Amino acid sequence: MTTTADLSLSYEAAPTFSTPLRFFLTAPLFGALAGVVLLFVPDLLGSRWTPGALALTHLIAVGFMLNIMFGALFQILPVVAGAAIPNARIVAGIVHVGLATGVASLTWGLGAGSPPFLNAAVVLLGITFGVFLVAAGYGLRRTPIAQATPRDLRFALLGFGIAATLGMALAMILSGGLSLPLATVVKLHVGWAWLGGSGLLLAATSWVVVPMFQITPNYPARLTRYWALLTCAALVAWSAAVLAGFSLLEFILAIALAALSGAFAITTLRLQTRSRRSVPDNTTRAFQLAMSCMIAGLLCIVAAHRFDHDVWPVLAGILILHGGFVTAIVGMLYKIVPFLAWLHLSQAGMKAPNMKKLQPDGPIRKHLIAHAVALAVLLIAALSGSTLVVRTAGVLVMLEFGLLFANLMRVLGAYRIARSA
Amino acid sequence: MNDITTLMSHDHRSCDESFARAETAISRGKWDEGTAELEKFIAELETHFTAEESILFPRFESVTGMTEGPTKVMRGEHADMREAVERMRDAVSRRDKDDYAGEAETLLILMQQHNMKEENVLYPMCDAQLAGENLPPTLAKQLGREQAA
Ligand SMILES: [Fe+2]
Repeated sequence: MTTTADLSLSYEAAPTFSTPLRFFLTAPLFGALAGVVLLFVPDLLGSRWTPGALALTHLIAVGFMLNIMFGALFQILPVVAGAAIPNARIVAGIVHVGLATGVASLTWGLGAGSPPFLNAAVVLLGITFGVFLVAAGYGLRRTPIAQATPRDLRFALLGFGIAATLGMALAMILSGGLSLPLATVVKLHVGWAWLGGSGLLLAATSWVVVPMFQITPNYPARLTRYWALLTCAALVAWSAAVLAGFSLLEFILAIALAALSGAFAITTLRLQTRSRRSVPDNTTRAFQLAMSCMIAGLLCIVAAHRFDHDVWPVLAGILILHGGFVTAIVGMLYKIVPFLAWLHLSQAGMKAPNMKKLQPDGPIRKHLIAHAVALAVLLIAALSGSTLVVRTAGVLVMLEFGLLFANLMRVLGAYRIARSA
Repeated sequence: MNDITTLMSHDHRSCDESFARAETAISRGKWDEGTAELEKFIAELETHFTAEESILFPRFESVTGMTEGPTKVMRGEHADMREAVERMRDAVSRRDKDDYAGEAETLLILMQQHNMKEENVLYPMCDAQLAGENLPPTLAKQLGREQAA
């Protein structure tokens, strides 16, 4: 009998350190760029529709979040799902360069309203997503395992695929190459990118990561079994309602989706209170902040439906993207990167310093505090509309991503010292 | 359900809880209690490894004919974890809280990524390949668990 699992579990099948690391190190640079945009275009938080706000959203969602998700997926697909990506190194190279240039061109296209840049972004990101989805789908295709996490990973990849397709359609609408109702496609794009892709991926990761690393009871079996299915079904029904223009049904389904997201966030918070680890580590704290922000963001979305004021969607965006996803991703990154450094050192037969020597707690805490302060000032900036506060938020966002970058480089430095010792 | 995946995954969680008890005691500077809890954890982990290395893996290897496959990788990771556990013991004997925290963190992540591979890939393969062998009661006995049917 031959399966790919016999190969994919071994260290030899894992990608080289540089494969995920190139994504992890590029991501904070796009995050810092978001700070630069805030500093120089401080009027962008007025509504979610300003060109600056669109550029900012994609710097964070694609430049930061998707960069790290890609890097992590190259690493974890063989481990969690037994799915080895063929020619991982070459695929990673293409995806990395394609994503970086694609985001840069998308951001400029959106911010400056430039059709040539939007068209270039469609081509670059289209190739990037296409290459990744085919390679990951090929790896996953060969894993016959019906466990919740690999199944939900497949759903998430599908969700990203739909979100990306809608995003490319949007870019073409904006550049004048396609004529479709803009508002409808935007709605669908946001729904699928947020829940169909990022939300499902975060949930699929949490099913595994929270119980294992924070030593909590497992998520309720009913949640892990049905959450992704229900969320996908509700998203499909919601999309149909949006397309058909049934606004009452659309509203009811949006509430159902918010309730599902809330159930996930609240369950995670409750599980964490039952952690057996006496000292909540930095990752646990990051998750607590992330889940609380998700819940607050959902409340802002509900408020946005009730009260027609531009500030609610902006607050929701800040809370869910910066407070929710960025925080959770950063929390996981601080576990993944030092462990990979440790793994590659010890597999090369070298004496590896322990996790906390590779990535000390102090600098992580400093970064998380800077991140929380930046979040608070961003929220105040959106509420007050004061140029000075927006600019301050911009500086803080640059600072926080700079600290993240420095912390990751610190691990790389410790890794190099240990290697040459 | 009394399949291999359920039984062995359950034992992983039980090891995790012992790990956390040792970590809690040591982080509070209760060295005697911490040493005792650490030894309990190590014994439990060793029992789990033995159940795999002497019962589960050999059956899997003889039924599938794969001796160079996933079980070899898992045995190698057991060896890595045994070394990590020794470094934890060493840190406790030196009463070095920070060093223990770092070594324990290293073991935890090493252990969890190993468990993920077993729970998501190897155990389901065992359940599929060894369905007719009725291994769970034998495994449960080695693990000192009651619930085997
Ligand atoms: Fe094992």
